[in-house]
Amino acid sequence: MYLSIPKTPSWQRRDTGLTARMILSFAILALLYLVFLSALVYVGFDFVTITVIASIMILAQWYFSDKIVLWSSGAKKVTREQFPELHDIIERVIARNSLPKPKIAVINTNMPNAFATGKGPRSSVVVVTTGLMDLLDTEELEGVLAHELTHIRNRDVLVLTLVSLFSTVAWYLMQFGFYGGMGYGYGGGRDRNNNGGALIIVIVVAMLTWVISFLIIRAISRYREFAADRGSAQMTGKPVKLANALMKISGGMRQVPTKDLRQVEGLNAFFIVPALSGSTIGNLFSTHPPVEKRIQKLMEMEASMG
Amino acid sequence: MNFFRKFRKGYNNNKPGTDSDAIFSLSSAYITLETKLGLKSTGRCALSLKSVDGMHFTEMKADIQRFLNIGKSDVELSNRLVVDSYGYLWVILEGKSMGDILAGISAVGDTIQEKGFTNQLLVAIFEFNYKEKPNNGDSIQYLVYNYKFNKFYPFVPFGQKTRNSENEMKIMATIVDEVPFEKDMTLWYPLWDLPF
Repeated sequence: MYLSIPKTPSWQRRDTGLTARMILSFAILALLYLVFLSALVYVGFDFVTITVIASIMILAQWYFSDKIVLWSSGAKKVTREQFPELHDIIERVIARNSLPKPKIAVINTNMPNAFATGKGPRSSVVVVTTGLMDLLDTEELEGVLAHELTHIRNRDVLVLTLVSLFSTVAWYLMQFGFYGGMGYGYGGGRDRNNNGGALIIVIVVAMLTWVISFLIIRAISRYREFAADRGSAQMTGKPVKLANALMKISGGMRQVPTKDLRQVEGLNAFFIVPALSGSTIGNLFSTHPPVEKRIQKLMEMEASMG
Repeated sequence: MNFFRKFRKGYNNNKPGTDSDAIFSLSSAYITLETKLGLKSTGRCALSLKSVDGMHFTEMKADIQRFLNIGKSDVELSNRLVVDSYGYLWVILEGKSMGDILAGISAVGDTIQEKGFTNQLLVAIFEFNYKEKPNNGDSIQYLVYNYKFNKFYPFVPFGQKTRNSENEMKIMATIVDEVPFEKDMTLWYPLWDLPF
């Protein structure tokens, strides 16, 4: 699953239904996953078998990603008759860039958002919300859709699936290795204290593996967002349109002010220096780069095109 | 990386550079605006400062006027002083060449600062329009120099109190490296209903 546009904080927009629904769906999936694997451990499968089964489950999640996302987000596939403009824009972009046509689905919500998912370019689905279509004009929508089509062309769902797969496999193998080592320790007749120490090392190393792979996945994801922005700019030739769309979607906070400078100056609000805009820690954990950064890069592309 | 960028930014901000230096950086940037975006200076620009009551301010106003009228023989600049509804004094200059405009505006700014009214200074604003249709009032675009932040930002009004942020971003993309530019868009405060 691949959300392409950062969600607006809930306090900015009341429509959090979609977010809640998707988080719940994926939480349930994750829970099932955990319960299933714990059951396997309980039944007494060894770690290699469990690693293989976990990998198969992740790959299945990738293979059925389009179905899972359609199901969890409540998106409905739409025909050309229902949304002719949406089909037109996508067909225009794919014709110019010789890409296969993805399935197109729409979610009926005011929250502006779009995402793409699927196992490969031919079986992918592009999802947009009705809120996005209301908010953006044709060229801006084209920029956002080209961004999603670039995700599909770059096989970003597959890339991230593989990355999570490797980290999961690494995690299980590492646990297997350590438990194996501990088994040897028991055989050697070590005392309880030593085993306690070994257990702590297992936990610490397991945590480290998890944290590092988590950060790497996030970094790759952010990098691929920039790549998709760049791809969109190349497909449409109008980076400024995507930049404008991002500004509109990110809403309130980041928008250019409309209050007169002389009024603001009078209120003295002017002198309040914004505290640390976008903290570094926050950046490390997020899957999407800050909108300002993305707009800045798009404007650099615009400048180089001039 | 972010940390270092912040650090560097802080360093650059402290680098001594006068307002005049910043304003004169337009003397090359306006050519870039013309060649890349087709925007040409309309020859109009203005400087605004908060009016205060008192003898010193009145004296300074007289000084500016005297200075501008003496200079008339050297540079072709017409000038007028207007007070807007917010109580800001606008020194409006109109000239034929960008060199004259920049020289005039920065001289006025320097005079105001010499007289100790630095904190009253708000902005210097430069008017642009498309080369092809210079008489179309709907396509006017501004470049604003903010004396508080010592940076330029774009302002493109569009209809009633709305702005064309796309054109604003184009201006930013075009000259961001040539003039001290405000990259934080949340500080691009508009100036509606300009008195010129």
